[in-house]
Amino acid sequence: MFGAKDRKKVEKLIGKVALRDRVAFDGLYEATSAKLFGVCLRVLNDKAAAEDAMQDTYVKIWNNADRYQSNGLSPMTWLITIARNTSIDRLRAKKSGNTGFDSVESTLVAPGLTPEQSAVAASEARKLQKCLDGLEKDRAAAVRGAYLDGKSYAELASRFDVPLNTMRTWLRRGLMSLRECMSS
Amino acid sequence: MTDDLHVPGDGEGADDDSLAAEFALGLTPADELGPLRERLRTDAEFAAAVAAWQQRLASLADDIKPVKPPRRAHKRLNRRLFGAERRPLLQKLWVWQGISFAALGLAAWISFSDLTPDQVPTAPVYATQISNADEGLTVLAVYDPSREALVLNRTDGGARAGRVLELWAIAPDAAPVSLGVLPDVPNARVTLPEDLAEIAGTLTLAISDEPEGGSPTGAPTGEVLGAGEVSEL
Repeated sequence: MFGAKDRKKVEKLIGKVALRDRVAFDGLYEATSAKLFGVCLRVLNDKAAAEDAMQDTYVKIWNNADRYQSNGLSPMTWLITIARNTSIDRLRAKKSGNTGFDSVESTLVAPGLTPEQSAVAASEARKLQKCLDGLEKDRAAAVRGAYLDGKSYAELASRFDVPLNTMRTWLRRGLMSLRECMSS
Repeated sequence: MTDDLHVPGDGEGADDDSLAAEFALGLTPADELGPLRERLRTDAEFAAAVAAWQQRLASLADDIKPVKPPRRAHKRLNRRLFGAERRPLLQKLWVWQGISFAALGLAAWISFSDLTPDQVPTAPVYATQISNADEGLTVLAVYDPSREALVLNRTDGGARAGRVLELWAIAPDAAPVSLGVLPDVPNARVTLPEDLAEIAGTLTLAISDEPEGGSPTGAPTGEVLGAGEVSEL
């Protein structure tokens, strides 16, 4: 749904939002809120909570848009990652009363990718689905469960009925085979 | 790749990419988070590894269908960020994407042409944009209840050869009601029937391609070229 043209447009809007352009912020909301609301809904599975998470997401976007240009993620990836992490924070806060995982830190700090690295990452990303299908079923389910349902190692371990450290080991193996597959 | 189950949180000697992947997934155990965040700030290579994983993993969201959030969500967001401060009408007209400078100027003209400088609309003003990229057609519509007029401005494109553009108002769960054929000139002013005027904020306006003289049946017969939900400015 987001082609090269939309990508450019979203990128431009984020650039203007960084300059405190409220009109561009409205435009960004119009262009991206349905996708981000979808992501929040998918993680939280509750309309009211998803609405709150989406609002938090846009507040973070407004306050941190100036960090976007330097971090090299594609614009939708950046927005989706903030929405996903914010939703998962909320999910965990509801469950345990604390947030183990600070989404602003983890999404917005990353200053790292060069344009080349970013292009490589983007082309790799398109292979994800296929590569996940190539993983052992449980491992793929664990990766999905962690990303889309915010499952912790403890929760994954109990779901797959293995000790915590075993879970950690095989999820890491899964992730590394995933990376290999995506970069091949 | 490591089999060590007790990888130290600072990742020293451990598999950095595993740590980066875990961090991007939100799986990093609580006691390892602090040092890892510190590393993220100071170690560009590690930060790049996390960003690369965020990019890889974000494709898991590709299949998630967009869901239009309720309209109040946008208002709540703006209230939270910008307070109750009322935004000038001109700025609000920008809520539509893709609107051109020319359109903005015309919209301003539409909204204010009848007003003396110190007059400000008191009742809510409604507006929408109807456009069709393939046809290059853009029509801006502003409804000011205090003036009981729906003012239209065709900022781009026009009717197909030998055809006309017909404007329709669609109330929720109701059939389209014709508001007439758009004139050849870009500007038009339409009086909304009273029953529609009362529910102006809920209407969708649409434009269809019709034979000269307009739809012979009272319902759209040609292609619907575009539609726009009316929203409050």
